[in-house]
Amino acid sequence: MGSDVAELFPEIEKLRVQLLHNVEVTADFRRVEEEISHQEVLTRIENIILGIVTSLSKDEAPVLTLPNRSSWANVSFDSAIGLQMSSGSDVTAVRSDCASSVTKFAQILKILSVIYRLVQSNSYATKRDIYYNNTQLFGSQNTVDHIVDDISCMLKVPRRSLHVLATSKGLISGDLCYMEEDGTRIDCRSNSAAVAVSPNIGGIRNIVSSAKFVLIVEKDATFQRLLDDDFCSKLSPCIIITAKGVPDVNSRLMVRKLWDTLHIPIFALVDADPHGIEIMCIYKYGSVAMSFEAHSLTVPSVMWLGLLPSDLRRLRVPEDALIPLTKTDENKLNSLLQRPYLSSQPDWQKEMELMQQSKVKAEIQSLAAIAPDFLTSIYLPNKLRYGGWI
Amino acid sequence: MSREIQQVLRLVMLLGKQRGVRVQAAGGLLVLLWTKTGAAVQSLNCTVAGAGPWCKGIKMKTLEPDLKESMFPRMSPCPSVPDPEELCAFTDLYGSLRLLLSFQMRDSRLFIPEWCVRIEEFLRMFSLVNAGIKTQLKLQFSQQTFQQEFRVKIKSKVARAKQPSLMLDVTCRTQPPECVKKGCWCQGGHPLCGSRLPLSIPPEAMERGLFGELSIQPVTLLTPCVLQYPNLATQLTNIQVLVCSPSNVPVTGPSTFFQNLPNELDCQELGLHSLHCSLDHVNSGATVYTAKQENLQDSEQELSLPSVQQTLLLFLFLQHSDPFTCHLSDSMATEALIEHHLEGILSNNRQAVTTALQTELKNALKGLNRGKKNHEKLRSAAEVILSSSISIVSCSSNLDFRNACLSSMKVRDTHELSASLRESLRRVTSWKFIPRGKCYPTQVEEQEGDEPTGREI
Repeated sequence: MGSDVAELFPEIEKLRVQLLHNVEVTADFRRVEEEISHQEVLTRIENIILGIVTSLSKDEAPVLTLPNRSSWANVSFDSAIGLQMSSGSDVTAVRSDCASSVTKFAQILKILSVIYRLVQSNSYATKRDIYYNNTQLFGSQNTVDHIVDDISCMLKVPRRSLHVLATSKGLISGDLCYMEEDGTRIDCRSNSAAVAVSPNIGGIRNIVSSAKFVLIVEKDATFQRLLDDDFCSKLSPCIIITAKGVPDVNSRLMVRKLWDTLHIPIFALVDADPHGIEIMCIYKYGSVAMSFEAHSLTVPSVMWLGLLPSDLRRLRVPEDALIPLTKTDENKLNSLLQRPYLSSQPDWQKEMELMQQSKVKAEIQSLAAIAPDFLTSIYLPNKLRYGGWI
Repeated sequence: MSREIQQVLRLVMLLGKQRGVRVQAAGGLLVLLWTKTGAAVQSLNCTVAGAGPWCKGIKMKTLEPDLKESMFPRMSPCPSVPDPEELCAFTDLYGSLRLLLSFQMRDSRLFIPEWCVRIEEFLRMFSLVNAGIKTQLKLQFSQQTFQQEFRVKIKSKVARAKQPSLMLDVTCRTQPPECVKKGCWCQGGHPLCGSRLPLSIPPEAMERGLFGELSIQPVTLLTPCVLQYPNLATQLTNIQVLVCSPSNVPVTGPSTFFQNLPNELDCQELGLHSLHCSLDHVNSGATVYTAKQENLQDSEQELSLPSVQQTLLLFLFLQHSDPFTCHLSDSMATEALIEHHLEGILSNNRQAVTTALQTELKNALKGLNRGKKNHEKLRSAAEVILSSSISIVSCSSNLDFRNACLSSMKVRDTHELSASLRESLRRVTSWKFIPRGKCYPTQVEEQEGDEPTGREI
């Protein structure tokens, strides 16, 4: 089956060879993910506490310094990595003597103490567990989620090293088997059902796959459509994955893991709209909020398979399936065009400028207006056969 | 006797108003009470003297008929003159006398010691709302002299719509806590001018000749000012209500309306557990309410900090205008009517006055209640901060880290560390100081003699 794909889809094979070559060339520059030891994590937390005690011993109000994870001014672009946090980034001071910030100070300390115990006892908890242990202090799950990421950034430690797991929202299916940390064997080859992305990507081992490519699918609806149409069998061997919209960290880690392990082309299938393009950019180049962990989250080799704005014209998608761009869409598109990574992607730029000029967008589902099974029977196979990616 | 002094002051203030004397006009006011023991009758004499710009343009000769008309029948002109030396000392400070009036009460056995307290209180209140005038009280009985000078260190001008501005004494007489550094305590207050409330005149007052437009202007003053300490716990201990006539002379005497007012107010909205009218201050002329905060839980009591106690002064300035009242005697009579019918006027406008006062008190206590919320936030967060920190220190196997924490705080074990960290955190957060431009910093030389002076000669 694999050789059939190589014959039927020579372009994918060519791309795979090219990517492998790039991987070898840039291997020296590829940062190997540092394993932070348990002891190092504990030491970094202890340093924070010692700082607090030292401040109080001098009759000074303790202050925690958090790198600002929401500012574009704090990130720089590297084509080999994506968006990464700059070394001299702006910080936010969280004071213990100010009513507006003391609650956040307390929340950070509380979660630090929880993490300390988890790491010390080599046990794990989910962010949900942490929230439900003290709902009055935290107020919402979102608060816990943000603070865990803030702590990860402050300590310069990947979240998985904090022993805090997040519930994954992604699904995966295709030619892939692996083992979870607890020994559970996962087989993603079911034709009809997908497997939830593991909450502990770092613990995955024994990955076995003959897949020739990975297809990232933006939406759950499209993903289900591919499952229903038996896409993974028709274009076997391959892997399809979705995070149902803006990707969570686990889904991004999974894509990165597949790339690191298999070194096969990774394509993105997103709606032809600014939101879809932005989602694709997060997989490829990362996000501002998680830029401190770019090395383990980004996959700069991601290729844009579809739905391209040029496809709409080429395929003569019926006009009633096209949607006018809103003001928000236009603003988003302008913002994307100014992103630092677009300059290294002239073909992407052209597609986005085409969207700007045509002032329309379309969902992948619009292809159904041509024919009900157009997506899986014609569009995707042809794209993959003739190298229709950019 | 205080009634008579009140009348004199009313006359002078109304004259000033008519002549357009500015609120900043300064000067001195001396009230001198002395006795002369005669063969059979002891008489009590009173001299009211004024000097300085505040009584500019007063002509005693033209004033005397009005004074005679407005004084009580049992008062008679004073046959003797006050000690010239006393007056010299006064004029040396404030310039030549523009006002000098003496009168006598025949039977001084009617003069009881409580009157001294009343007069003193009355003049204190007068000084509060007319801070430009330096007021002195001297009592000379049986060759003993008691002197009191109502010093105003800090004045604040309060602008009013369509009315002359007020000059209030906003000096804070509370000593700063010991832990407060020099120059970091506001010695004054920041009055809040509320919304003017028109009052309808009840029929019985109109029948007696009270017409025109009557209104009340509330002004609140919360002392001591702790704006520079946003995290400090404060506790409101009492509210003092002081009513002033249109001539800016305090209205004395108990008021049933104000005594019953706490029953009409929504204490919960004000952040208070209860308000009770204190009968201990009946002589003061101001109505005083004792405030109780909401009861704290035992654990909160233990952890709560000693708080700074605050007092809220609620000034109610009566304002009246009537185009047909232009003569001084008419103004005097109008003021007398307003005072006489004050209970009826307030009752006639009960709902509106109660609602207005509720609003003003709520606004005045906004900062205090916000401070309470901040303090509570800091307190509950402090518990989490301390327990989380101690949890990490306690279960750490890193000896260097543990020793560094213990030696930093100069303690022997984690139990002592917990107590020490708690105390330190409480100190640094409660007394966080943020200077504010509108506050009045402490002046070292002015720290002496803050209280009204009283000495025996």
